[in-house]
Amino acid sequence: MIRFKDISLVFEGGSVALSNITTNIDDGEFVYLIGPSGSGKSSFLKIVYKELVPTNGEIEVTGINLNNLANWRVPLLRRKLGIVLQEPKLLKDRTVNENISFAMEVLGFAPGEIKTQVNQLLSLVGIEYEAYKYPEQLSSGQQTRVAIARALASKPLVLLCDEPTGNLDPELSSKIVVLLEKINRAGTTVIMATHDSGIVNRRKKRIIELDTGKMVRDEDRGRYNFSGDA
Amino acid sequence: MQKLSYVTRDTILNIRRNPLLSIATILSVVVSCFLAFVTLTGKAVVEENTSRWQNGVHVVIFLDDRVTTTAHKQLQESIQTYEEVREVQYFSKEEAEAEFRFLFQDQTDLIKEVDFSILPTSLRVNLFNPSNYQLIIDRLQGNPAVREVRASGEAIQRLLDMTSTLTLAATSFAGIVAFAAFILIGNTIRLTSFAKREEIEIMKIVGASSLYIRLPFVLEALLESLIGAIIAVGLGVGLISYISNSSFSESIFTIQISDGYLLELTLIIFLASELFGFIASYLGTRKLVNV
Repeated sequence: MIRFKDISLVFEGGSVALSNITTNIDDGEFVYLIGPSGSGKSSFLKIVYKELVPTNGEIEVTGINLNNLANWRVPLLRRKLGIVLQEPKLLKDRTVNENISFAMEVLGFAPGEIKTQVNQLLSLVGIEYEAYKYPEQLSSGQQTRVAIARALASKPLVLLCDEPTGNLDPELSSKIVVLLEKINRAGTTVIMATHDSGIVNRRKKRIIELDTGKMVRDEDRGRYNFSGDA
Repeated sequence: MQKLSYVTRDTILNIRRNPLLSIATILSVVVSCFLAFVTLTGKAVVEENTSRWQNGVHVVIFLDDRVTTTAHKQLQESIQTYEEVREVQYFSKEEAEAEFRFLFQDQTDLIKEVDFSILPTSLRVNLFNPSNYQLIIDRLQGNPAVREVRASGEAIQRLLDMTSTLTLAATSFAGIVAFAAFILIGNTIRLTSFAKREEIEIMKIVGASSLYIRLPFVLEALLESLIGAIIAVGLGVGLISYISNSSFSESIFTIQISDGYLLELTLIIFLASELFGFIASYLGTRKLVNV
């Protein structure tokens, strides 16, 4: 599903974001990407959805070799991926329903299909009763759920979550993780970047730990034993 | 179909969000297209008129009436043999009087005052190349049958020179205004796209193509350019129509533009403004839209 081979990323000016990362993530896996702030978690995810291009190494995502992927084909890659960022980035002047519809509309879904699928997505993430509320009327947790629903609109093979619980309290964070596990059980590969040790230690999933751009640990049912800033 | 509906709706929304900016953009397109239209039309009118004049009389040789008519005729035959000369026409005193009466038919007082006997006979010469008028003047220098030689070529040359200068000045001005319009279109599109940066960011992460994200902005620029060009051409045609029916048109110029030329010019203005709009909007959204 996702293959990193000796991936390095060096920014202009020489700062190293990732250094010789080699790892495979298979279909249906749930992986926590852990490490302190600045360890390279976001860069790892951005390379997967080709927001950043590695300076060295080979990368393959859902069977697509990103090294040879032309810019005009990047949207085709992203339709196979769902992306959830720490900031939900919802359109403030549109309701929950319209925020999800918008994503489907730009992908060319038919109006009937949009209506049916938006209801299903809202029900899946548990905010079906908030459909006609505006983002400002929602709690942070609910906003994150809308962002997850929007990311699932294209029925992605992989869900990439960059610190989705970063702004949430522990209880809401747990609920979001439970939701992501539910999505994972339905067959979607989930990669979640986090420095929330509580969540990682309770869920006991595969972890890939990064520190100053280097992969220092890759364990199944791993624990967050680093004393980071979470 | 769904995508087309989105693009159309978004284009209209973009314009409605910044009506003043859209109006400013359209106005700058109007000014530059109008200047281009007027400049090119004016150039065509002057070329048409100078060409007509050039096909007329280039050199008038006023003859000395003390010399016999036979000598006048011999001179006519002699000039006719010059290789620069296409035609020489003899113009008698009677014909000169008839022409004078025709030209000044509205000024009866003047006609009453004139002593027509002073009007000289003349030879009217048409040249293959009007700029060769000086050769004819030189050859007739000192000829006893010739009283005076006048050439229209010099005046035509001056007019053509002046026209070229005016055309260059107007074209440069139109170019400057067109550049301003280009910058304004690009800036309008940049501001519109910046106002929608969150929407664009979401579109990019869900997998919308650059073309699809960019299309509403490009369409907005094309629409504004087209509206501007239509208004400019409308104003230009109105101006031509007004001048054609004015007294100016009845004096020295014939303001007549063929439908074919107008159509060609209109198409050029439309295509140029659309091309400007396209390039400006493409560049205006380049940074924000590219994946």
